[in-house]
Amino acid sequence: MPKLDEAKLDAVRKLIKQNKLDGFIFTDYNDIKYIMGPVFLSGEAVLLVHAKGVYITARSLYEAPVSQDFPEVKIEGCDKDRDLKTIAAIKKLKLKKVGFDGLKESYHAGKNYIAAGFIEKENFLVPVRAAKTETELKNMKAAAKIAYKTYEHILTWLEPGVSEKETAEEIDNFMKLNGASSTSFDTIVAFGANSGNPHYGTGNAKLKKNMVVLLDFGCIFKDYCSDITRTFWFGDKPSKEFKEVYKTVKSAHDEAVEKAVCGQTGAEIDDIARSYIEAAGYGQYFTHRTGHGIGMEIHEEANISQDNTDKPILENYCFSIEPGIYIVGKFGVRYEDCFYMTKQGVKQIK
Amino acid sequence: MKFTAEKIKKLQVWLKQNRFDGCAVTDLDGVNFFSDFCFAGQGDAYLLITLKKAYCFTKKMYAVDLKKKTPYLTLVDSLYFEDIVKKAQSLKLKNCIFDTTATGYIAGTLFYKNGFKEYAGFIGKLKEIKTETEIARIKKACSISFRAYDIFRKKLKAGMTELEATSLLENIMQSLGGEGLAFNTIMAFGENSANPHHINSNRKLKQNEPVLLDYGCRYGGYCSDITRTFWFGKKPSGEFNKAYALVKAAHDLALKLAKPSAPACLPHNCVCDFFEDNGKLKKYFIHGLGHSLGTAIHEPPFMNPRTDEILKAGHIITIEPGLYFEGKFGIRYEDTVLIGEDKNKILTK
Repeated sequence: MPKLDEAKLDAVRKLIKQNKLDGFIFTDYNDIKYIMGPVFLSGEAVLLVHAKGVYITARSLYEAPVSQDFPEVKIEGCDKDRDLKTIAAIKKLKLKKVGFDGLKESYHAGKNYIAAGFIEKENFLVPVRAAKTETELKNMKAAAKIAYKTYEHILTWLEPGVSEKETAEEIDNFMKLNGASSTSFDTIVAFGANSGNPHYGTGNAKLKKNMVVLLDFGCIFKDYCSDITRTFWFGDKPSKEFKEVYKTVKSAHDEAVEKAVCGQTGAEIDDIARSYIEAAGYGQYFTHRTGHGIGMEIHEEANISQDNTDKPILENYCFSIEPGIYIVGKFGVRYEDCFYMTKQGVKQIK
Repeated sequence: MKFTAEKIKKLQVWLKQNRFDGCAVTDLDGVNFFSDFCFAGQGDAYLLITLKKAYCFTKKMYAVDLKKKTPYLTLVDSLYFEDIVKKAQSLKLKNCIFDTTATGYIAGTLFYKNGFKEYAGFIGKLKEIKTETEIARIKKACSISFRAYDIFRKKLKAGMTELEATSLLENIMQSLGGEGLAFNTIMAFGENSANPHHINSNRKLKQNEPVLLDYGCRYGGYCSDITRTFWFGKKPSGEFNKAYALVKAAHDLALKLAKPSAPACLPHNCVCDFFEDNGKLKKYFIHGLGHSLGTAIHEPPFMNPRTDEILKAGHIITIEPGLYFEGKFGIRYEDTVLIGEDKNKILTK
């Protein structure tokens, strides 16, 4: 039987109190999933957490199963204007200071909430969701293990003549056979010059000897994502240029892993990898950020990017470190693992 | 698959007819719909579309792909809402709108403060009537899902868990050319089928019980949606057979009623009456009859009693009546259907 995760709910309540509120409205699919597990489809529920309980208004068909599975929750069916229904419920509960996230609500609903006297709090749940609980970390490690095992498998499976699509299929299948519920994003398999495009969509190119192979993939285990990238030379005669670029990317990655410190901003961590690549003369070919937050979503808060000059990366935040160099038309190299922050520096999720 | 600017052109014609000179699109589905590109997440790209041009605000990493596949987009390397406003100002737009139901509160407030005008639901409206290209892609996604069903039934074995059966089905769709899922597959064994939005579990399949699967894939960014319920084993219970026949008959009835000019609520209401007339079963039909689909799995118009819309040729809807007996079993039968001028066409075949 599903149950509300008390550790998570406590963290949410504490956050509400810290913000001097007495309740908060959640509409975002993943915010609701964080608190309830995967119960509602996107856009089909509004959830209110307050000091005394959890109130939900959702499509009517959820009323019976949810009240049976979560006896501690009050749920009311509503098939239209759930924002107005929520406002009415809040009045009945006599809550005085209720917040909502302006980035997650539509302009239409947000205007109604402001008119009802509620308070806008951008990125409200971010600090709570970024710092993973023990259970969350356990699931992320399990998801990472499946991905690493898959990489080992695919190295022995690859042979000349297979297409990018066939390789992606094998990766996806293998992850599912090993316990993943699904992939965490569309698997990227890029052969040869295709690796020079960091956002390549897997195509029909066929593998030949002495070619670059870039694999970027991950899976979901119990709602949590993994994400790894490996690039290697298929064959025994790697070009000099490939070897040099590979070494630069891998060293930039390792530098960032070694030197990142708890409390640094994303920009500071990004700069460790970026300045290494710049010093090697490849600065203009590193066209994306060093990493992204990861958890229930493949891209979430903990932005390891030049833009993030104000948000520190704190204890138990989970993120990728994935520098890359892309020489369009020739080849690209990316190397990626995921990590969590500790007081002693970063630790790999594995 | 060829990327197309036809949806941007459609929007530009509509803007001109309504005397607007531009619009901002910030929600992921709207951006993917108009650009015809598959951005991965909310906030990966925004659009500012004027009568002549389509500006795409996005990250550098998408640029290589976009330049090749979507030459009709003018790329801007920024994801700040302020830069969309600045662009609109530099273009001297006077009558630029945003969709109040498909724009976040923060972005919408900024747009409004800077003179953009509120307009509710225009993105949804422009998505309703499908073009030939859209129909072809949905048809392909539907055909993949439909063909996967027979292969799946042959491979399904007693002892498999719901999660294992889900992987099996999804792998089959992938190997038939499906490009990802339209939504999370629902795979319900036995009594779990009585919950229309069941969450897949480790429950194992036994001989002689119902299996309900509700699933779909994507092709060229477009969704398919199909549900089948069947009895796994040799002897379906009399109760199951009776309910199944009723649900299938309700589906066929709705298929006949869903015609151009008919109110979108009509087929739902008639299915309710049909269930009521056949053993007072209306109370076991606990959801709407269907929805439209396109780049999103749920789009307007909805086929439920609350809608006041009218069906038109070119709508692509689902027809999915069901009966759910809590603690026992549930049945749902669903096809994706193209509303035609004269005759409807089931696409999930």
